[in-house]
Amino acid sequence: MDLCELDNRPFCACSTPSGTAGIAVIRLSGEGSSLIADKCIKIVRAYDESVKVCSQMPGYTACYARFEDPADGRLIDNVIVMHFVAPHSYTGDEMFEISCHGGSAVKQEILSVLESNGARPAGRGEFTKRAFINGKLDLAEAEAVMDVINADSARALDAANSQIHGDLSSKLDMYEKKLYEALALIEMIVEFPEHDDTPENTDKITEICRKAVSGLDSLIRSYSKGRMLTERMKIVLCGKPNSGKSTLLNAIAGFDRAIVTDTPGTTRDTLELQADIASIPVTVVDTAGLRDTSDEIEEMGIRRAVTALSEADLVFYLIAPDEDVSSVEENLRDMDPNKTKAVFTKSDEGDNPHKKEIEELIRAHGINDFVEISAKSGLNMDLLEQEVKKTYEAAGGLLAENILIMSKRHADALTSASDKLNSAIEAVEGGLGVDIASSVIRSALDDLGAITGKTVSAELADTIFSRFCIGK
Amino acid sequence: MNIKQALETQNAYMAGEYDVAVVGAGHAGCEAAAACANLGLKTVLFTLHLDSLANLPCNPSIGGTAKGQLVREIDALGGVMGKIADKCCIQMRMLNRSKGPAVYSPRAQMDRSKYSVAMKCYLEKLPDLDIRQAHITDLLTSDDDKKSVVGVMTESRAVYSASAVVICSGTYMESRTIRGEVVCLTGPDGLPRSIGLSASLASAGIPMLRFKTGTPVRVNSGKIDFSVMTRQDGETDVPPFSFDNEMNGIGVPEEQVPCWSVWTTPETREIISSNMDRSPLYSGVITGIGPRYCPSIEDKFMRFQDKERHQIFVEPMGEETNEMYLQGFSTSLPEEVQIRMVRSLPGLSEAVIQRSAYAIEYDLVDPLSLLPTLESKIVEGLYTAGQINGSSGYEEAAAQGIIAGINAALKVKGEEQIVLNRSDAYIGVLIDDLVTKGTSEPYRMMTSRAEYRLFLRQDNADKRLTPIGKKVGLISDERYEKYIKKQEDVEKETLRLRQTYIAPTKELEEILVSAGTTLPQSGISLAELLKRPQVTYELIAPVDGKREPLPVAVTKEVETILKYEGYLKLEKEKIEKFAQLERRLLPSDINYESISGLRLEARQKLNSIRPLNIGQASRISGVSPADISVLLVYMETLKRKDKED
Repeated sequence: MDLCELDNRPFCACSTPSGTAGIAVIRLSGEGSSLIADKCIKIVRAYDESVKVCSQMPGYTACYARFEDPADGRLIDNVIVMHFVAPHSYTGDEMFEISCHGGSAVKQEILSVLESNGARPAGRGEFTKRAFINGKLDLAEAEAVMDVINADSARALDAANSQIHGDLSSKLDMYEKKLYEALALIEMIVEFPEHDDTPENTDKITEICRKAVSGLDSLIRSYSKGRMLTERMKIVLCGKPNSGKSTLLNAIAGFDRAIVTDTPGTTRDTLELQADIASIPVTVVDTAGLRDTSDEIEEMGIRRAVTALSEADLVFYLIAPDEDVSSVEENLRDMDPNKTKAVFTKSDEGDNPHKKEIEELIRAHGINDFVEISAKSGLNMDLLEQEVKKTYEAAGGLLAENILIMSKRHADALTSASDKLNSAIEAVEGGLGVDIASSVIRSALDDLGAITGKTVSAELADTIFSRFCIGK
Repeated sequence: MNIKQALETQNAYMAGEYDVAVVGAGHAGCEAAAACANLGLKTVLFTLHLDSLANLPCNPSIGGTAKGQLVREIDALGGVMGKIADKCCIQMRMLNRSKGPAVYSPRAQMDRSKYSVAMKCYLEKLPDLDIRQAHITDLLTSDDDKKSVVGVMTESRAVYSASAVVICSGTYMESRTIRGEVVCLTGPDGLPRSIGLSASLASAGIPMLRFKTGTPVRVNSGKIDFSVMTRQDGETDVPPFSFDNEMNGIGVPEEQVPCWSVWTTPETREIISSNMDRSPLYSGVITGIGPRYCPSIEDKFMRFQDKERHQIFVEPMGEETNEMYLQGFSTSLPEEVQIRMVRSLPGLSEAVIQRSAYAIEYDLVDPLSLLPTLESKIVEGLYTAGQINGSSGYEEAAAQGIIAGINAALKVKGEEQIVLNRSDAYIGVLIDDLVTKGTSEPYRMMTSRAEYRLFLRQDNADKRLTPIGKKVGLISDERYEKYIKKQEDVEKETLRLRQTYIAPTKELEEILVSAGTTLPQSGISLAELLKRPQVTYELIAPVDGKREPLPVAVTKEVETILKYEGYLKLEKEKIEKFAQLERRLLPSDINYESISGLRLEARQKLNSIRPLNIGQASRISGVSPADISVLLVYMETLKRKDKED
């Protein structure tokens, strides 16, 4: 089914997650929904007793009804039906929500009866697309809904929800207004050059740009957190060869994924594993050992390890009992202290003789969390779990008051806007002329408009709709 | 009324047969008539009064912010205004010098009567143009389902046939001038007004509007004390408007006349506020809508109540007259109040008013009823240009005039008409704004209305438009050769500066440090050096030994291209995105009512304006980005259906 076609038939889909649950909700939306509803749904009891068929139900009222197959009058399920009258529904079109029993057979049968009576199966995101087309959502909101469809954890849902309710849009609105103010100042200067009340001072213009840049930058920084919530949290295991990374990975996986040997440098590439730790979806990346090497293939692996480090949400830096102080010192250079935890491995093989010294080095680098584990014996593996949980919740905690950027397109647009505003500041302060600044600020506004949907661009509409057009 | 019916009216006679008839000889009409005649069409130009041809009834100046760009563009297309303005210039200035090349705006004070005479002389010499003093009262059209133009008729019942008609009626249609409680049934400057033509247009089905504008008082300089005023002199290092003059080394005059400025006094404010009840705007005598950007002095005091005073410029009307124009002192208060207001100004306490200020109301066509070619959507072959389309200003009028003239001529010849894009010219922005967004007040061109003003500079108007003028036929071979030579020079010099590297010598250091910048660490190309805000082409002359003498027009453009390269590139990307939407054409027979996803308002607006492409559709007020997305999806569906069929 290609959603790009303007198929005007009503469409239906199950709106609750797959699998068995107590109840399920099936949505039927579009012009002509009530014709189908009247055929298949026989009202048993409605709030207003004079209402006999679904099409007569006032908006936002429910009824108790029998869902039947009009072909043979066979009862499929007893259901509760809610009616939404256009434009007061999520999609803006007429809509019914049918709450039925949660078994998958019931759901399937209701959908197939609706389909044989004139409805078509909804495509991915189609309810949202209709809501967008009917002007119920702006682009940022519509994309947030797409994220809801894609998001599978509760926290991601929260973040996505805050965008549905327009938090990001209203924040960007605020910056847009300010930037228009700066533009208005420039236009005053340019348009009425001989006028008495024309400001010659450009401080206010750069001040507005600076504030917008700092606001946009903090939104951009939130993208890494946002990504952690919509996608998976990325945990990177690193350390010197033979420090026990693969052993730990295998302990998490519960099977021998990486080849574990005593020869340093066995893991030449990064290995990835998807797992749930403390029911948090994570990707664990096992990197090649960090060390200088002359082996070309291994060198590639090390380069990948460094990339993985920069993309990580949480890094476990593994230190084996035989590790010496100088190699720790060297490796620490690659570590971001804000997301790195130090892990002393193989505690079943005894303590590292330089442990004290190493700990001091690590503290000096700004890393304060230490764990001592043995993947073999299972010692303190629960502490690692705690660390994962802590990182995840810290990101989640940001949600309460902040907006998280969860889409790469948004992050890119914000980055481009921020860069342009910086160059506007440069143009004004460097004496290039306010006309240059104005041109660049306008471009930045176009970038923001691409998120809120205020700028029309063929490219954008195509991108968005291609996303809607993935199909089922 | 068709020609036959017109000839049946009493005293009617057939007075002439023309390809194009131009009604009104203001700045729009003169450009339109000149374009048609220069393209070899048999053309007639009508004016209510021959001695007021190309009149400057308001400020005695041409150019200014955005308007200076328009004049350069008109000239680049092969128009007249720039050449005449250069001839009659008594003071020239380049505004916005410190604010960047995109907004450099040339402005010239005009000798008003000389301008009118010079334009008349020019037009009279065009072999294919007849000029006629006459009052046009009727537009003649065919009786077909889709009306088309067949000619015009004068008040004295002279019938002229024409395949195309360009109406440039300025502020004359059904006009009335107002000073306080006194209403006069005249056109601007006390000239006769146009009666009947507006009704004739309305009866052809054209939607009409009514606007208001105004002009300040003129005083005799004899009794002005200039010693208390601030003097403002002209500049001689500004290029003339016309590229022909610029390339032929004809510059602006060495001897220039000064302008002056003063501030209003508390007394001025007091006189105005105690007489506000006599202002026709506030008492309700005037109902037409006035321009926000050119407010009357009483409007300024009412709207900006926290401002104690406003600036007034005193400008000469010519070299052979004592008449001075008070810019910024437009008013529609009663004459008696005007005298007191003027005498409250510093240096003007004894001043004698020669012409009083007035507000003027006039009829115009709703520009939403026009195609981007300036042809009416309702009457085929009818074009309108200037204030009749809702604009304000001489330059805006002339800009539409040349386009309407060119398109009327192309239409008669059966050739494809031209539309300038928003990324081609200010003229494109002006016309697109009028025909796509409409206007609720007299529309003034401003640089901020242009999205791509780094590209739409006054210095490169020739590069943007002269090839178009050449293709149309308004640019002579001789001028085109000069144009090509200039472009080659620009290209060669740009390349040379990119490829010329200089070492960080002591001499260079001295030059750079004196300009407030520093010596580079190692060798650097001259192009890179020019990117620094402090460095100009002139500055580095001593270290640029291989430099050949080039016209300033060339070196200035080269400097701009190099200095703003990065920003120009960014803007070019924007233009490309814009062009993508502009290229997505909308079929002319599309029925917007049948597209279910469009909101009601969008359906109605799209059906009535009928945009040519998605880009134009996106600029219609009331059409949201979501509507555009719906349209894009709809068009995609059409395309796929076509493929299937």
